[in-house]
Amino acid sequence: MRLPRIFRTTPFRLTVLFLALFGSAAMALLAYIYVATAGEATRRTDQEITREMRSLVGAYDRAGIDAVNQSLIERAASERPFLYLLMNRDRKRISGSIEESPVEKFTGPPTWTSFSVTDVDTQGRTVKHPARGLQEQLAGGQILFVGADVGEDEAYVAKIIHALQGAGALVVVLGLSGGVLMSRNVSRSMAGLTEVVDAVRNGDLAARAQVRGTRDEFDELALGLNEMLDRLERSMAGHKHAGDAIAHDLRSPLTRLRARLETASMDVDAGKGDPTKALAQALEDTDGVLKTFGAVLSIARLQAAGAAPDPQLFDPAELAADISELYEPLCEDKGIDFAAEFSKDLQVRGNREFLAQALANILDNAVKYTPAGGAIMLRVRRRSSGEIEYSVTDTGPGVPDEDRERVVQRFVRLENSRNQPGAGLGLSLVAAVAEAHGGRLELDEGPGKVGEMGPGLRVALILPRAA
Amino acid sequence: MRILIVEDDLEAAEAMDRGLTETGHTCTRAADGELGLTAARDGEFDVMIVDRMMPKLDGVQLIETIRREGDQTPVLFLSALGEVTDRVAGLQAGGDDYLVKPYAFAELIARVEALARRRETGSVQTLLRVGELEMDLIGRTVHRQGKEIDLQPREFQLLEFMMRHAGQSVTRTMLLEKVWEYHFDPQTNVIDVHISRLRSKIDKGFDRPMLQTVRGAGYRLDG
Repeated sequence: MRLPRIFRTTPFRLTVLFLALFGSAAMALLAYIYVATAGEATRRTDQEITREMRSLVGAYDRAGIDAVNQSLIERAASERPFLYLLMNRDRKRISGSIEESPVEKFTGPPTWTSFSVTDVDTQGRTVKHPARGLQEQLAGGQILFVGADVGEDEAYVAKIIHALQGAGALVVVLGLSGGVLMSRNVSRSMAGLTEVVDAVRNGDLAARAQVRGTRDEFDELALGLNEMLDRLERSMAGHKHAGDAIAHDLRSPLTRLRARLETASMDVDAGKGDPTKALAQALEDTDGVLKTFGAVLSIARLQAAGAAPDPQLFDPAELAADISELYEPLCEDKGIDFAAEFSKDLQVRGNREFLAQALANILDNAVKYTPAGGAIMLRVRRRSSGEIEYSVTDTGPGVPDEDRERVVQRFVRLENSRNQPGAGLGLSLVAAVAEAHGGRLELDEGPGKVGEMGPGLRVALILPRAA
Repeated sequence: MRILIVEDDLEAAEAMDRGLTETGHTCTRAADGELGLTAARDGEFDVMIVDRMMPKLDGVQLIETIRREGDQTPVLFLSALGEVTDRVAGLQAGGDDYLVKPYAFAELIARVEALARRRETGSVQTLLRVGELEMDLIGRTVHRQGKEIDLQPREFQLLEFMMRHAGQSVTRTMLLEKVWEYHFDPQTNVIDVHISRLRSKIDKGFDRPMLQTVRGAGYRLDG
């Protein structure tokens, strides 16, 4: 038999679990209360009986058996709640409020017993009450029994137990209905999310979960889901764009390569010309295609993995210093002033190799576009947000505001840079590396226009703070 | 040098064989991992070139097997898988170098020769000598014709690598990998600039240049 849906929800199961725990605690409390109240009543009665017994034994020691007898008669008249029985040495009743002792053993140390007494209630019915009693042998051999009716105590305890049972039932009922209500509430919150998941499963990547603004865990989940879908949608769009771009970026050099080989082959067939030059050019073309292909592959693998492989904790300034050392002579050779500024004691978690490549790509670009007499600056610092920022600022022509978003996309090269070498994948790879580290790439204007120079470009690779 | 080529792509193996034979080496070919294992067990080789992905027994398993059997012949892995993790896996299996397909032939030759050389100079040296050039690895000093040459730490490492592979072509990629320990292709000529700085220090003012540029391949230090 399948349970109704509500009984299968996690909140309901949790409710039942908590109810079981709470129920056990309530049972333990009940047991404690029982012991505390019922036990306490018995103890109090026993104390009173003992005190009465001491008082009567004291009277015997002072004035003999007649004084005791006298006391019993007086006390019976004063309607004390005690039950008495005084017997002589031969266990014959001398006086008292009960006929015979419930204790069968008459010699030896004082003996306690529980028994019941018969009483007549206000309606004239005969009722039995529970009672406690103590029997002692007096120094003269007479036997004295003092008891008390504990009927009222017992009734009090029974009331408490009854009340606790009621409370227990109430706990179960309230707990269960609370669980059902909570399950309904949570199920309603989940339903929206489940709907989105179903929609996406059916191919609607534009579906988004509603964020109610309550900032609870459901909102967090909805936000996370939406962010994930954003990324997925972007990635899908990226793949589609990549398909077109690969077709464009690989097809044209391959076409050129094919044409070159075909021409060379025809020339050889016609017996004219030396194919060496054509072959050398064909090799160069092939290398270009392979480079583009390698970059596309790296980007695709990074994006597919969604995270940088083998992340390690390291000092970002150390990596920057390493890369500076590699590029500084190149800048000097080109007549570019190279400066570096690194903050100390920073930490970043990431794949050193990929980050090195990203920095190298940024610097490659900067060197490529900065004219002689210009300057390049590499900085590493911690932002006030705690993020780690690598930035490269150059004094080249920069990238117009409206194109900045586009240059980090795959394969984009701006019109005016067509004649520069490079597959146009440099910054796309940097962006992919940044994203794989949970960071981002930011492009800004450089130091501004100074004479022929500038306005320059500032490329910032921003990584999240190391946890 | 005796070279074992274990490669299931017969055309690629043929091209390698031809190229290596032309440069004066003797090649033995095996078309899959099992044949490669038999050949490696039977013959004596200076270097093995092993494709990573092959039918029957793949390159990594093959090298793990011969390494377990105590064979220390230097191994160059060839692979279409070029990611950091792939390379690390290849080197952990017992490979000595890793070349990603497709490769320039000059790169392959340079690496094969570098591997064979490494074996010859396996013992710990404290002094390197190439022609007039002397490098004290403990004192971290370099002299040419008795004249001390002042080098930056990286220039020292670069020269050390060139001296350990004197007479051989070393490619830019090899230098970036072995001296800087980076495994990517820079789009600019960073390595050339470092080499030209080193060249101006060791060759300037001497009658004969030692650090040569090899067209289409890289650089070579001649004694």
